[in-house]
Amino acid sequence: MAIITPIKTPDRAAPLAERSIIGWMHKNLFSSWFNAILTVVTAYLVYITVTGLWAWGVTDATFIADSRRECFENSLSGACWAGVIDWFDNIFYGRYPREQIWRINLGAVLLVLWMAPLWMSRVKGKVLIGAGVVVFYPFLAGYLFAGGEKGLLTQLMVSGAIVALIANTSNMLIGITTRASLKEFLLQVLGKAQASGRTQRNVLLAIVLFVFVAVFLWQMQWTAEAVSWTQWGGLFLTMVIAGIGIASSLPGGILLALGRRSKLTVVRVLCTGFIEVFRSVPLITVLFMATTMFPLFMPEGFVLNKLVQVIIAVVLFNACYMAETVRAGLQAIPRGQYEAAHTIGLGYWRTTGLVIMPQALKYMIPNIVGTFISLLKDTTLVSIIGLFDILGMLRSISKDIPWLGLHKEPLIFGAMLFFVLCFSMSKYSRHLETKLSAGDQH
Amino acid sequence: MKRKSQIVTLAALSTVAVMGASVASAESTLEIVKERGNLRCQVGPPSAGYYNLDSEGVWYGLDVAMCKAVAAAVFGDATKVEIQSVSSQARFTALANGESDMLSRTATWTLSRDTQLGIDFLPPNFYDGQGFTVRRDSGITSALELKGAKVCVTTGTTNELNLTDFSRTNDLGISNVTFEDFNVRDDTYLNGGCDAVTGDKSSMAGNIASFPVPSDHMILPETLSKEPLAPAVRHGDNQWADIVRWSVFALINAEELGITQANVDEMLATSTDPNVLRMLGAEGNLNEGLGLEPDWAYNIIKQVGNYGELYEAYMGGGELGIGIDRAGTLNALWTDGGLMYSPPMR
Repeated sequence: MAIITPIKTPDRAAPLAERSIIGWMHKNLFSSWFNAILTVVTAYLVYITVTGLWAWGVTDATFIADSRRECFENSLSGACWAGVIDWFDNIFYGRYPREQIWRINLGAVLLVLWMAPLWMSRVKGKVLIGAGVVVFYPFLAGYLFAGGEKGLLTQLMVSGAIVALIANTSNMLIGITTRASLKEFLLQVLGKAQASGRTQRNVLLAIVLFVFVAVFLWQMQWTAEAVSWTQWGGLFLTMVIAGIGIASSLPGGILLALGRRSKLTVVRVLCTGFIEVFRSVPLITVLFMATTMFPLFMPEGFVLNKLVQVIIAVVLFNACYMAETVRAGLQAIPRGQYEAAHTIGLGYWRTTGLVIMPQALKYMIPNIVGTFISLLKDTTLVSIIGLFDILGMLRSISKDIPWLGLHKEPLIFGAMLFFVLCFSMSKYSRHLETKLSAGDQH
Repeated sequence: MKRKSQIVTLAALSTVAVMGASVASAESTLEIVKERGNLRCQVGPPSAGYYNLDSEGVWYGLDVAMCKAVAAAVFGDATKVEIQSVSSQARFTALANGESDMLSRTATWTLSRDTQLGIDFLPPNFYDGQGFTVRRDSGITSALELKGAKVCVTTGTTNELNLTDFSRTNDLGISNVTFEDFNVRDDTYLNGGCDAVTGDKSSMAGNIASFPVPSDHMILPETLSKEPLAPAVRHGDNQWADIVRWSVFALINAEELGITQANVDEMLATSTDPNVLRMLGAEGNLNEGLGLEPDWAYNIIKQVGNYGELYEAYMGGGELGIGIDRAGTLNALWTDGGLMYSPPMR
């Protein structure tokens, strides 16, 4: 005789082994004798490492001192962070004049301000924002960092960049408050939302021109003091080289990859040769060639800018690596996609831009970010050719008389800094992947 | 026909290019430097005592002072100098290709360098020599007692070769433990990884000062090598070489005559010694041969100091010095038994 109850019997709790910490540990750490021994040994190793590092780096460490001798007097076995702290300006800004450091900080703030909308879902026109950063920001930042007398061309570029920044920021604010784009908002306010396309365009052009003239007149009032690139250094220089490298190696790599897959023989051979030559020599060789051999072919007294040479070398070198990454992504796209694009009448550029690239780029993200990360770390090579990037500065601390011989702490500090930078890049790439593959249902 | 005209054009263009290059190189270094408005002086990656950065990003040291002295002689302003830091692999190339106007970076003057690299060495501003550092409690008192010892040495300098030669000459069977970085070399020595460290005595004095307990270590008396550290210029511009040479001598000569940064104005006003007056430009025309202003030497002493002051500040017991005693060493004045000697300035 069956008993039928109208209500669901309550769930019984999972067995103890499944839900308690003890059970979890038993299953994962002590499932056999061998595993138990491994666990104990590993735990012991972790323990001595962590406690040792903690004692050296925190409990026995000296944070405030005027010289390494004072650190020794405080503790012989602890770290001497005072030297690193004393050198912070050098580590972050290099030999940049101390009273001008605000310019570098302003440049960093402007970059964040410019790129912030890319992370905001309510703001429209992401592609334009991204393009604006790549096209306009370098002019503004370049003048901000280098300064000096402005020629007419520089004045125009700086003004253009400031106008772009104003447009970008107001677009962001409007996006946050009303979810509209700047263009829609302006037309709305001026009551031209229903006007014909031509009127709208003229109105917008007039506004841009008016703002441009105002900015141009305003920027004629001031000049930033010139700072020679030879005084650039530290993390700032690393970021300048890596930033320019990252911003230009992706477009360059895409062009080279397309060239290598092109049906035009001349283009294909040139691109292939270029890529293979740069990929088969070490970066340091390219840097040495650019800075040491190049001047030999130039007349005496020829003014050369080592920094520009280094940046060109880094960009070309990484564009070639990027090209192969991009090519791998392109080859993952099935032929059917090309054929489908052709059947609806798309030409080469529109097929590439609208159908192939968006899909391929998604596959490439892990590798692209990997290249970016290695590019950032590779920039430390410039310390070998006499530029004082962050590594050059960290290594100089041990030669400064008050901190003579202090070399472990700066390098550990540098390692932590690089870890933070590279790890956040790779986390961001994971985030992009999940975001872009949200539409994939496989 | 068309091809021919192209070839002719090309030939003409290359001739113009070559001419342009030769015209440019016909300009003297002094003219180039004056036109540029600053002196490009090459030092190396920071090295204690000679050239290093402080926490404010300012270069200081004995060799940096040398650069400033030449800038003071040429421009009358010791600040008109751009310090370039170049790795030791690229140093002579960077001088030869015109990137640097002069080199002031602990380069050892040797015959092969002087004759084969297209550069000329000038009077040494520091006489160094390779030696050994050992622990006091090791009981070693002479380098000849290092039989079978493990010696830490850095690569990329003449130190390694000298050590091997010394070991072979005296049949000591020393085993070299080589390092790229001298900090790692010293750490290994401090942790008992080798019995002794070898390096230039001046830099080792600085290193010992940075050890946790400096009094536990000592430098052995033997000197393995001669290391005259001298500034250098490109071969072929004698006027420029003269300027740098006499800038070095002016530093030494000022010390011989007792002219210091503090008393130079007073000496100029009150001295009756013709040697002093000639050097400081109040009498005679010593400057004309150099192509400089009459007060060139005055500016050096006024803005940089004399050799003794620089030694005290950077190599001796000054606040930023590495603490090498000068008395009785090769770097003392010739009147005190050293090698620092300036030809007469007359």
